[in-house]
Amino acid sequence: MDSDRGENGDSSHNHVSKKPKLSAFISEEEIRQEFSHHQRGIARINNGSFGSCPASIIAAQKEWQLRFLQQPDDFYFNHLRKGLLESRTVVKGLINADSVDEVSLIDNATTAAAIVLQQIGRAFAQGKFQKGDVVVMLHCAFQSVKKSIQAYVTGAGGSVIEVQLPFPLTSKEEIVSEFRKGLEKGKSDGRHVRLAIIDHITSMPCVVVPVEELVKICRQEGVDQVFVDAAHAIGSVPVDVKEIGADFYVSNLHKWFFCPPSVAFLYCRKSPLSSEVHHPVVSHEFGNGLAIESSWIGTRDYSSQLVVPSVLEFVNRFEGGIEGIMMRNHEIVVKMGEMLAKSWGTNLGAPPEMCASMIMVGLPSRLFISSEEDAMRLRSYLRQHHGIEVPLHYQAPSDVEGGPKDKDGLVTGYARISHQVYNSFDDYCKFRDAINQLVEQRRSCKMLFME
Amino acid sequence: MSRAMCMTWRHSSRLFSCCPLPFTSPLLLAPSHFHYIIPDIIVSHHHSHLLSSFTQNPSSQSSIMESSPPHHQQNESNGTHNISKKSKPMLISESDLRFEFSHHDPSIARINNGSFGSCPASVTAAQHHWQLLFLRQPDHFYFNRLQPAILRSRTLIKDLVNADHVDEISLVDNATTAAAIVLQQIAWAFTEGRFQRGDAVVMLHYAYGAVKKSIHAYVCRAGGQVIEVPLPFPVNSNEEIVDEFRRALMRGKANSGRVRLAVIDHITSMPSVLIPVKELVKICREEGVDQVFVDAAHGIGCTDVDMKEIGADFYTSNLHKWFFCPPSVAFLYCRKTPETSPELHHPVVSHEYGNGLAIESGWIGTRDYSAQLVVSDAIEFTNRFEGGIEGIKKRNHDGVVEMGKMLASAWGTNLGTPQEMCASLIMVGLPVSLGISSDSDAMKLRKHLRENFGVEVPIYYRHPKDGEVNPITGYARISYQVYNTIDDYYKFRDAVNQLVSDGFTCALFPK
Repeated sequence: MDSDRGENGDSSHNHVSKKPKLSAFISEEEIRQEFSHHQRGIARINNGSFGSCPASIIAAQKEWQLRFLQQPDDFYFNHLRKGLLESRTVVKGLINADSVDEVSLIDNATTAAAIVLQQIGRAFAQGKFQKGDVVVMLHCAFQSVKKSIQAYVTGAGGSVIEVQLPFPLTSKEEIVSEFRKGLEKGKSDGRHVRLAIIDHITSMPCVVVPVEELVKICRQEGVDQVFVDAAHAIGSVPVDVKEIGADFYVSNLHKWFFCPPSVAFLYCRKSPLSSEVHHPVVSHEFGNGLAIESSWIGTRDYSSQLVVPSVLEFVNRFEGGIEGIMMRNHEIVVKMGEMLAKSWGTNLGAPPEMCASMIMVGLPSRLFISSEEDAMRLRSYLRQHHGIEVPLHYQAPSDVEGGPKDKDGLVTGYARISHQVYNSFDDYCKFRDAINQLVEQRRSCKMLFME
Repeated sequence: MSRAMCMTWRHSSRLFSCCPLPFTSPLLLAPSHFHYIIPDIIVSHHHSHLLSSFTQNPSSQSSIMESSPPHHQQNESNGTHNISKKSKPMLISESDLRFEFSHHDPSIARINNGSFGSCPASVTAAQHHWQLLFLRQPDHFYFNRLQPAILRSRTLIKDLVNADHVDEISLVDNATTAAAIVLQQIAWAFTEGRFQRGDAVVMLHYAYGAVKKSIHAYVCRAGGQVIEVPLPFPVNSNEEIVDEFRRALMRGKANSGRVRLAVIDHITSMPSVLIPVKELVKICREEGVDQVFVDAAHGIGCTDVDMKEIGADFYTSNLHKWFFCPPSVAFLYCRKTPETSPELHHPVVSHEYGNGLAIESGWIGTRDYSAQLVVSDAIEFTNRFEGGIEGIKKRNHDGVVEMGKMLASAWGTNLGTPQEMCASLIMVGLPVSLGISSDSDAMKLRKHLRENFGVEVPIYYRHPKDGEVNPITGYARISYQVYNTIDDYYKFRDAVNQLVSDGFTCALFPK
């Protein structure tokens, strides 16, 4: 356990710096060992959905769990809050927040959405917002966030405007212009736009959104609150919450920051709003600020929230630390994406500068992906018959231009491939070959059967 | 694997025959009666195959990892005893029991099972198996394993608590979360005008702190009023509680108000009293209370939990307190009625929103659901004891009463309740000379006992009534669970006696 961390305490309090390493960086073999629990024979190119956690972090987590089981009262009274504060302090340093009070640890981005939207719902219920006031979001916002809006906003009298994310796209200006249009619509008829929910990296289809620019536009246009859903961000793109300037910013640490399932941070910029947000599970700490409320929501396993300092140690075993990891993931996923697109004769869904460690690669039109169900069927088929785990997206052809084409027709399916430190070139070759095989065998989605 | 198990069985049987297990009397658990078996033979027979599977053998890895969690394989193991699938498993031996809780800090007399519960090693091992399955291939786990496993847990609980439909059983983190769910729905009813401003929610004065805050947050904020039922403590009979409860309901109904919700603890936390819930629920029905929510954080594995008998609309209990599950998991029962039941939602809205609370609770975003998946393993654990969970409950109750009386007698104090008003927790008066005169004193004394005497026990400060002569103002809430021995309580007895003879009082604590 990091028992000396408490005495030294230094690494978690500084801004994240690259400590000069006396020993060598982590070796290939060590990386393999760290992820040896991943199922053999699976090309695991879906780090985006559920993330990944190295063995040394799992071990650190088990130590915390054991400590609780050994003497839970002592753990609760003497260790838990200190451990959580250390984790929060590491996060504060990573994201350049002003104060650790602004950083709360929660389960996941889904919980963050509930927190922010419940506050909005209360504002409608209490008459602070007028019926019909608007919440703006991207149409491809994560499904759970959409449902949260339904539960807490529409139910309370708010209305919702969805901004279409163009896809495939070639530049961030396409997003900016659609967003402006959405805000205009929201402000029409004398309504107020009370909240804008902006993904930092959308889930499906996956693109990096120019959040800083969009937040600036929100401020110019008088949007009350801005919530950035950055589920994929930390460990994948640099995150500077002051630069981004949102009121609320959430990112999962178990996706790209090697934490066990599950833990996320919710950054709440210090403002009068800070006392309005509450954790939905009310416990002893209710009213003491979200960060403190979140640190105790009844007896449960907080161990995944306690290993963040250990993760910092882990990433610093790599050359360049987390920045080095991000850079290499990006370079390789772009290379792999281009390799696949070339092999299949298709296209990428977005330019490399709009990707981080995931990229959308067009699937051959010959697969005839013509619905969400087709995409799911192909995904299951790839999992079961080829040992490939990769999420697939169906992109309906646009009425106007149709969409990108390969030599045989319209490209309507995209694979979202990821790269993380445990991936190898073989993973992508496997995927490349499986698709080529299907095309050669002239098998379309509808012909695939699941066991 | 089978060889290790053979040895386990043989050792257990030898132990069993030479030291008849005193399961009828909880007292004969003094450690000196038993010797420890060398740990590597004592590998829990259910899980020895799990340990071997952690070696990096690719061919065995997939077959073991893809197989069902351990409990499904139990019946295939035999050892020297031919355990047919129909006969009961061998009763747990003392040394197996020690092994199961060998992770407990041995320097601590752990008599606070009520706060955080306890989890045997075999259930923790089963949990690790599920955690590893997820980490190994999370997509496959999510699409194919998770929901059937949650359904299995819910079905087992439904049977344990005598609910009619598995739809009535949702799994949540803890009773605190369940309270948020029930109260959120009440708040909505106020906001939407179905309840009127000033309508009341009734709760016990001794309701759990977190639940009280939840009630204030959700109810008061939405315009409801809260009525607390004062309860006497020490308490002498159920009638005292029933009378106070009736009076509180009358207050709520005064000025033609409605009582929209009654929140009733099955076993209060501090001070700990077993409440006559069935009777109180009946009164609620007679008096036209809209909804009744029983907070039975200390319920399952501790007292009798029968949904149909109790008759509440909502009932929650933690499984990690007295039912040997890891932290944390609780069930929330929502009675299905022919009339429209109030619509409950998990406060964390995810993809399953609108599909019913039980389904919503089965996916609230990526997280570790493993604690919810080992209910079958916990049941299996209880079945290794004579009488299963019923036997455990009875022995815990007898044990805690006996220990409570022993302590009260040694200290010259009294118990806080009659023995029929407690389950596996009991309140024991502390000597007056300790001078406990505030909540803060109680906390400091508790800390002092932990740090200087190795005793973990929660202390309750009882504000004396006017005119009381030499009142007992401090009570210890002692617990009894299968891992306790009489030495735990002797240690506590002696610690307090020493404090008294040293002339210690709480006034000596620094401010």
